Amino acid sequence: MAIKTKGNKSKIKQYNFSWRKIKDKVLLTNEFGHYIILKNEEFKSFIDGKLSNKSKTWEELQVRGFLNNYMDFGDLCQRWQKKNSFIYAGPGLHIFVVTLRCNHKCVYCQSGAVGKEKNNMDMSWDMAKKSVNMAFSSTNKNITIEFQGGEPLLNWDVVKKTIEYARNKEKSGDKKLFLAIVTNFSKMDKEKADYLLKNEVSICTSLDGPEKLHNKNRIFHEGNSYKITKKWIKYFKDKHDAQKNEKYRIFKPSALLTVSRSSLNSFKEIIDEYVDSGFESLFIRALSPIGYARAAWKTIGYNSAEFLDFYRKSLDYIISLNKKGVKIKEKGAELLLRKILKAEDPGFLDLRCPCGATIGQVAYNYNGELYTCDEGRMVGWEGDRFFKIGDIEKSEYKDIINSSISKGCAISSNLDNQPMCNRCAYKPWCGVCPVINYELQKTPWGNMISNYRCELYMGIFDYIFELLTKEKESEILKSWVEE
Amino acid sequence: MEFKSKVSSKVYSLEALKLASYILENWNYSLKEKGPIVEISVKGNNPDIGYKELLNEALNQQCRIDLFKTNSKIANLITTKALLSALGEES
Repeated sequence: MAIKTKGNKSKIKQYNFSWRKIKDKVLLTNEFGHYIILKNEEFKSFIDGKLSNKSKTWEELQVRGFLNNYMDFGDLCQRWQKKNSFIYAGPGLHIFVVTLRCNHKCVYCQSGAVGKEKNNMDMSWDMAKKSVNMAFSSTNKNITIEFQGGEPLLNWDVVKKTIEYARNKEKSGDKKLFLAIVTNFSKMDKEKADYLLKNEVSICTSLDGPEKLHNKNRIFHEGNSYKITKKWIKYFKDKHDAQKNEKYRIFKPSALLTVSRSSLNSFKEIIDEYVDSGFESLFIRALSPIGYARAAWKTIGYNSAEFLDFYRKSLDYIISLNKKGVKIKEKGAELLLRKILKAEDPGFLDLRCPCGATIGQVAYNYNGELYTCDEGRMVGWEGDRFFKIGDIEKSEYKDIINSSISKGCAISSNLDNQPMCNRCAYKPWCGVCPVINYELQKTPWGNMISNYRCELYMGIFDYIFELLTKEKESEILKSWVEE
Repeated sequence: MEFKSKVSSKVYSLEALKLASYILENWNYSLKEKGPIVEISVKGNNPDIGYKELLNEALNQQCRIDLFKTNSKIANLITTKALLSALGEES
């Protein structure tokens, strides 16, 4: 909730903040991304104008930019700029959907994958080449090309040619290139693995928990998805751990957890599985009700309260493992903590203001269609091309930035334009998703008062700040962003 | 079926009512401002529900209009900067 500063006749008119109750305390935040947690009595005396200007709390409020008459604009603006550095950059993430074919049939698949036997579902080399050229037209100095699908290894030739072409393009230009592939490993072999390693492609897969749960979510008729995933995670992790003087960097493999209804009672087993696999972090992400997942929501989905209960239990368990000396952190919390504690932009495009649609990322579909983001592409696959920003055969880079939907997403995801967000204590670090708004509320603007995603993030922020009020837990959370 | 009513334009501005009527696709609305009054006509199935939906959505739109009046400068500045950065042009 925000305190009005203009035209307010009470003594608090000189203060500039939003606030929210956190258990028996009050959280105050401001535009610069500073926060302070006050006891109820302190908060009351602060808003009553009775807080002594010689108290430590007054001093902290002053340093953090909560007192309008005592603001160091040099420092505060620098912090704001650091926190929002992405608005000066341009699209850095370029998602190449090199095929829509997949040999898995995951119960929650949001990507609109089709069977591996289908024709005309692969990106051609000509199209991939044009897509690389488009990506390198971006104003961003750091370009990440992420191969996705479907299962990208089903279009290996194009993946390989694209890697070579992009690496050569990097050499002749002034941009730094990062490459990543999201794969289920089912088509991985040593030749492909070594090629990816030598070309510094970071590897990301899906691991949904123990064997039974993973295989229940990620249906694979040609083998045991869990065993294949574990085998290749170990392969890439061993390569990473053993690297010495290679001419190339080997990145640690990472995995994504998708929480379906079946996962809700298995938080311990899932986290133990990640620890057992040698991961030092896991990302507890809620399902997005878009694409196929939306149609199957009754069987695989949950409400925000159910997910938040799972999230809180998971975070508690992770912290209890940390207390025992186990090195494991929750990636979502880490991303938020980087924003909250360090005023950094961790490159998480879902929580930006404006959101990452086109100005932070572009999705290149297998057939040449260009979308604001991968979520926008999934809506397109359902037959609604609302988030389409161009076509690789016809559009120039400037056309896609200038497209009305790119501008529309930037305007509608600006929190200063959102009635509830504008007053929210979590505004300095949050962001809305026009695609999810569109899917659930039929408008990219959304309506936050009844918004599923808003409820999720509100609950996650609440719990993180609750933990930050506890000494030992706060110490552990802070250590996650100190490395 | 048709439902007719009048509302005060001080509570429900014509602009907010118009925006709301564009959003609600299930009914046909006719809006006429006469001094401090807006005359509303709703056509379609259950037009009384369409009328209530219109007033609810109009409040939502009014809230956004009011917010735009106070925040549009900063919001436009941030959005324009982000778009121009992506285009490689100076703001």
